[in-house]
Amino acid sequence: MPADPNMKILVVDDMVTMRRIVKNILKQLGFANVEEAENGQEALQKLRADTYGFIVSDWNMPVMTGIDMLRAIRADEKLKTTPVLMVTAEAQQSNLVEAVKAGVSNYIVKPFTAETLQEKIAKIFK
Amino acid sequence: MQNQAHKLYGELGALARFVDQAMKAISAACPQIMSSSAQLPAAASHLSDLSKMTEEGTLEVMRLTEMIQDNHGSIAKELSGIVEVLRAMDCATLAGRLGNVTSVLAQDGKCLTEIMTALSFQDLVAQRVKKLVAILDEVQAKLMELIVVFGLQESCEATRDAGTAGYLLKQLEESKTTAMKQKVADDILAQFGFK
Repeated sequence: MPADPNMKILVVDDMVTMRRIVKNILKQLGFANVEEAENGQEALQKLRADTYGFIVSDWNMPVMTGIDMLRAIRADEKLKTTPVLMVTAEAQQSNLVEAVKAGVSNYIVKPFTAETLQEKIAKIFK
Repeated sequence: MQNQAHKLYGELGALARFVDQAMKAISAACPQIMSSSAQLPAAASHLSDLSKMTEEGTLEVMRLTEMIQDNHGSIAKELSGIVEVLRAMDCATLAGRLGNVTSVLAQDGKCLTEIMTALSFQDLVAQRVKKLVAILDEVQAKLMELIVVFGLQESCEATRDAGTAGYLLKQLEESKTTAMKQKVADDILAQFGFK
């Protein structure tokens, strides 16, 4: 099933520049319903208060990291099936393994291109 | 027994001389240690400023890029409408030429998206700066420990600003308040008759 262009997407990153980049690419790809959160904790609050179809998250964030947020999402009955795409500069193999074990839907290493994001979204929603 | 005591005194004497030499060496390094310790917080602060400056520049480029993207969107919509009208009026040649313009706009759109993604360098720079600041903090804490343990503080108070690092940091510090904005420069030039 292809990704619904109207689905609500949450972009989680502590860097305003990165949130804006991801939001911009998503808009170019036809996803206009995008919200933002600065860290895992803020994201969880938003996720529990509303319904999101997809989450794009950074790894390194203050307050709550991306990997901790991912574990919390997978442990939450309401949120556990929401696809989570990790966008991170943590390109170490051990990080990737940790993310896969935690239930990540896919993984992008920074810096990335719009094509890579499009390809990963297509793979997640195929 | 006497021989053993003699040997022990000899070894204790050598140990005492070694400790004395080590203390002298640390005292000799005292000005550099004090100076480095005092400069590290300022260096960390400049690194954080660097991160902030790249963020501000990046956000401005993003703002302008998004503005161009929006304009492109509006132009593409208008062109599409005009092409439809021209086709209805049987002006296929004109419609085709406008179609070419639309293609060029689409190519530009791809370039603009690439500009946006290329700006992710700022995030990578900021992450490295954060790590460097954390390292500087740790080094400073260790140096402080050294200063406290060896009681270096009082003996080298006067030498805080010594060295090239101190001079460069001073220059960086001054640039925060003396860096001139173009408008100020223009105002001054205007006073001398420049237009």
